[in-house]
Parts: sequence; C-alpha cells; structure tokens
Amino acid sequence: MSAVSSWVSETLVRDATERRIFATLGLITVLLVVGVLTGVIGPRFLLFQIALVGMYALLSLGLNVQWGYAGLINFSVAAFWGIGAYCAALLTAPNSPLGLGLHPVFGFLAAIVVSAFVAVLIGIPTLRLREDYLAIASLGLAEVIRAIILNEDQWTAGSSGISGIPELLSWLPLTDAATTAAVVVVLIAVVYLFLRRVHRSPWGRVLRTIRSDEDLAKALGKNTYQFKMQAFVIGSVIMAVAGAFYAHLNLYIDPSDLVPLTTFYIWIAVILGGTGSNRGAVVGAAVVIAIREGTRFLNDIGFIQTLGVDLAPLRLLFVGGLIILIMRFRQDGLLPPKDELIWPAARDGGGAGGASASGAAPDGGTASNGGDDR
Amino acid sequence: MNDDAYEGARLGKSDVVLKTTDLEKAFGGLVATDGVSIEVDRGTITGMIGPNGAGKSTLFNLISGFYENDAGHVTVNGEDVTDLEPHERARKGLVRTFQTPRRLEGMSVREAMLVGPGPQKGESIFSLFFSGSDVTEEERGNIEQTRELLERFEIGHLIDQPSTDLSGGQMKLVELARAFTTNPDILLLDEPVAGVNPTLANDIKRFIRELNEEGQTFLIIEHDMPFIMDLADPIIVLDQGKVLMEGSPDEVRSDDRVIEAYLGGAGP
Ligand SMILES: Nc1ncnc2c1ncn2[C@@H]1O[C@H](COP(=O)(O)OP(=O)(O)OP(=O)(O)O)[C@@H](O)[C@H]1O
Ligand SMILES: [Mg+2]
Repeated sequence: MSAVSSWVSETLVRDATERRIFATLGLITVLLVVGVLTGVIGPRFLLFQIALVGMYALLSLGLNVQWGYAGLINFSVAAFWGIGAYCAALLTAPNSPLGLGLHPVFGFLAAIVVSAFVAVLIGIPTLRLREDYLAIASLGLAEVIRAIILNEDQWTAGSSGISGIPELLSWLPLTDAATTAAVVVVLIAVVYLFLRRVHRSPWGRVLRTIRSDEDLAKALGKNTYQFKMQAFVIGSVIMAVAGAFYAHLNLYIDPSDLVPLTTFYIWIAVILGGTGSNRGAVVGAAVVIAIREGTRFLNDIGFIQTLGVDLAPLRLLFVGGLIILIMRFRQDGLLPPKDELIWPAARDGGGAGGASASGAAPDGGTASNGGDDR
Repeated sequence: MNDDAYEGARLGKSDVVLKTTDLEKAFGGLVATDGVSIEVDRGTITGMIGPNGAGKSTLFNLISGFYENDAGHVTVNGEDVTDLEPHERARKGLVRTFQTPRRLEGMSVREAMLVGPGPQKGESIFSLFFSGSDVTEEERGNIEQTRELLERFEIGHLIDQPSTDLSGGQMKLVELARAFTTNPDILLLDEPVAGVNPTLANDIKRFIRELNEEGQTFLIIEHDMPFIMDLADPIIVLDQGKVLMEGSPDEVRSDDRVIEAYLGGAGP
C-alpha cells in the first residue's frame, strides 16, 4: 500500500501546491465515503456520478490531445461524443430504427471507426491551414451532426430518441451502477496509460512544439500536418468512446444532449485542469461536473428556499466565477504539465546524471519494454 | 555526412550546397525578391547583409519553402527542391532558424532540444508500442547528445530550465544547437545575434566558427557588421530585392554601392 502511495505521489504530484490540491481531492473523497456510510448519499447515486465524471474525464482527455498537445481548436466535442453515443445506441438497442440488437462491442467498434472517419474528413481540408479554419469547420460539424440526427428520423429516431440500450457486462456480480463505474475506471486507465506513453515521447514533443510554433516544427523537418491529423483522430476517437459509454450508462439517448454546452464544459475542464496535462484533464472534469451537479441541489437548501429565488439557472455563473478565480491565482490551471515529454527510463538511463528527479517515476522496469505499457 | 563536407573543404574543392536561380517574389505591388541568384559553397560561412526591408528574410523564406516563389528555382546538393514543402526541404539538409523565435511553452531546454534530431523512431505511435526498447535506446542517445552539445556551448547548466525562462541570447544559442542536431547540410541563420549582449554574441561567433571548422556550412543574415565581417566570407549584399554585390569582407566594406545602399536606401 505504501509502495502504491509513493508511486502515486512521485508520479502525479510535482510540487507543494499540487500536494494541497490532491489533499483537497482526497478530503472530498473521504467525505463522500463517509456520506455513503452514514446514509446521507445513496451509493447508487454516487456510483452514477462517478460514471458521469468518468465520462467527462474521457472527453477532457480527448480534447487535451487535440488542444493541449497540438493546439487544435475543436468546437465539436459534443458532435464526436454524439457520434459515439449514436453508434452504440443504433447498433445495440433492439428497438432502434436499425433494430439490430448487437453486442455492445460492436457499438464501441463502430464508434471508433465512424469518429475516426469523420475526423479525417474534417482534418483533410482544415489541418493544412491556419488553426482558425478547424475552429470554424468544427463549429459547423457540431450543427450538421445534430441536424442529421434530428431530421433523419427514419435512421436515428430523431427527437424522440432511442431507448432500450442494453447495460454493459450485466453478467458481472455487481449492481448496474457499480458495473458502469468500474467500466469507466478501466476505460480511463487504458486511455490514460496510452496517452502517457505517446505524450512522453518524441511524438508528444513534436506536438507540443507545433502548439507553440508550428513553423519551427516544420523547419526542423517535421511533417506537422501528419502529426496534427494523428492527434485530431486520436482525440476524436476517445470522445466517441466516451459517447458510446454514455449510451450504456444512461440507456437512453436523444439529440438534446448534443448541445454546444457540453463542448463548453469540456473546454473549461481542460483549461481549468491545466492545458496539456492529462492529470489536469481528469481533475478538471471532476471539478466542473462536481460544480454542475452539486449546484443542482442548491434549491433544496432551506435557507435559499426562503429567499424565493431559483439558483439552478445560475450554475453557469458558478462555473464562470470559478474559471476567473483559477485564472487569477493559478494561471496555468490546477495541474499544469511539467516534465512530461520524456519517458522516465530513457531519461534516467540516458546519462543525464539524474539531474532532475522530479519527474522520475520508479517504473523503469516496464519501460525497457514499451510494449507492456499499454 | 559532415566528413564529406570537411573533405571537400580541405581539398579546396568548390562544391555548391545551395543554389537559387532567378528567385522572384512580390507582395501585391511590392517586389520583395527580384531575380535573386546566389550560390553557397560547401564548407563556407556565407554572410548576407542589406538594409532593413532589403528582402533578406523573404529570401530565407523562399529558400526554406515557407513562402511560395513566383518564379525561379532552389536547388540543394544539386537537387531541385522548389516544389517541396518546408519540412521536406529540411530533410534534404536545408535547415533554418527564425528572426523572431517563439518560446516553447511548458517545455524544458532538454525537451526543446530533443525536437531537433529526426526523423526519430519514437515519432511513430506504432513504434512507441511495438518497438519500445528501440525507442528508449534512441532517446538515450539523443539525450546524451543534447547534454554534450549544451555543455560544449557552455549552457549545460540550463538543461532543466523551462525554455520560457531563458534570456534572448541563451535562446539563440539553444536554437543554434537544436538546428545543428538535425545534422543539416546547410544552416540558415536569420540574425543569430540580434539583441544578444556582446559577450554572448562573441560566444555564438566562436561556436559557429568551431562548427564550421568541423565542416558545417552556414548562410547567415546579420545586421551586426563587425560580427558578420569577422565571421563570414564571402558576403552577399542584398538591396531592394536584388543582389547588389558579392565579395570578401574587405571588398564589401570598400564598395561604394554598398555604402550608398546603407546611407540612401535605409529610410522609408
Ligand atoms: N508576408 C509579407 N507580406 C507582405 N509584405 C512582406 C511580407 N514579408 C515581407 N514583406 C515585405 O517585403 C520587404 C522585404 O522584407 P524582409 O523581411 O524580407 O526584409 P529584411 O531584409 O529581412 O529586413 P530586416 O533587416 O528588417 O529583417 C519589406 O518591404 C516587407 O515589408
Ligand atoms: Mg529580416
């Protein structure tokens, strides 16, 4: 146990401020557990929230690959999410317009293939140009996908949505809420380890260079178009996987979830967590969703009821206020990226003389065989 | 690769690394590059001077492919690269630095330096997962090379600094070092000592000369006359988009047209 906690502290925590941030998160976790144990919070409710936070964390990780690594401005997070959700719903729900009722695996596979295809389609005309072109095209894509789902109801069931989506892994001896929470934890772990490997490498360094100065990357012989395309496709696929997961979490999907607000929340989560940092993306998503879901209950507090105002619509205001505070006191976000572009084993064994140990994780053993790290 | 260059220089063999033929570029009505033909011999430090707005940076942009030319050709090692993208030209051995570099946010000096060598195995996602040990091996080599080069440039102590914390002069040194790690046939430097303090500028001069003695070819734009006169030979003078003259530092210094261009052409 102490080995695990020292691994966590050395891998994840970089300085004193970060220690405080993680301590706060730890405290909140303890409070939630106490809440469940004392019966204040229903375990089912908590597990559902964990699954939801996890899904947003996946979306943030996806956007972080695009915006945080490569500087790509993607305003169609909700669209890729929706592509994933609809792929899952259409293929697996027995009463969807396609009526196939396939195994969820096929939903996830379709989500990956279709989102990658759409990402390439959008990327081909825009990624050779200045970054604003992708921004504009992605705004358009978000609306186009929503319009297609709304209007092509012979294929998508339109605004009435699709219900009857099966649960994931229902054979597991767990409650449905626990199963989905477990699935999302596994998904995040896989995505996180994948991104950790590609980020801490020459690939990650080229992308970060592109983000700051694309011309420099070109001048050093890097085919920036290809790198940007890879980042765009990887990010979009992660978003679609999050969408497919959501379909199996909510068991119902309709186009009203594909609103730009979802995209907005994910951007906030990434910026809040620390642009370019995978740890930050996960924590940022958790914070944004905690505020969004937490403020749902403001109206239930007796004192506020006596004031006679409806506070729920002010949630966006809370989120906005939080961004201003964080940007004021911690400009680079809660957990900004640091020492994350070189694989620890390469660095420590590279005759660097251990010049800096801050980013060194004691996982050198697996690194000599990079294939294991997946 | 540098061995050949050294061999060539030692034998006094004239061998052209970079050649432009009748390059032209206009921005609207303004002809920034007006039929420029130059040659850079292997093993030389070729200087390029000219008043502000003479078209020096534009010429660099045409040579390196960042601007598309209206007419003319660029050849590297005898191969026509006019239709190639900037990154493809870089891989042919034509590598440049920029007049006004941007900082690499969130990258340490070590990380910023490690973008130079290429193409690296670890730039392929496939290799990262399926030949991870090769990637790690290569990374170790590149990290070691980076450390040695920074030490040689006397900035070894900066290796763990965030690259955004460097002074302008230190950044110029890092850029020179990084461009060198691409193993180029010719390095194009756009004002390598602009805004650099005299001590550091002297260091930069010394390092450029050292690399040159090992065979590295340079084409250098610079406004600092003592610096470029001391370092480069030959020197190409550009004025109003045209090559005004080319010659040794002494010839350039004593040429009436050059004096005229600097005194008469500098104003708007
Ligand atoms: N992208 C551009 N668009 C329009 N005009 C340009 C562009 N780039 C350069 N010019 C113009 O071309 C001319 C040559 O500019 P250039 O930057 O090549 O000069 P320079 O010799 O490098 O000058 P300096 O010594 O000040 O760096 C100038 O009149 C400049 O305004
Ligand atoms: Mg210039």
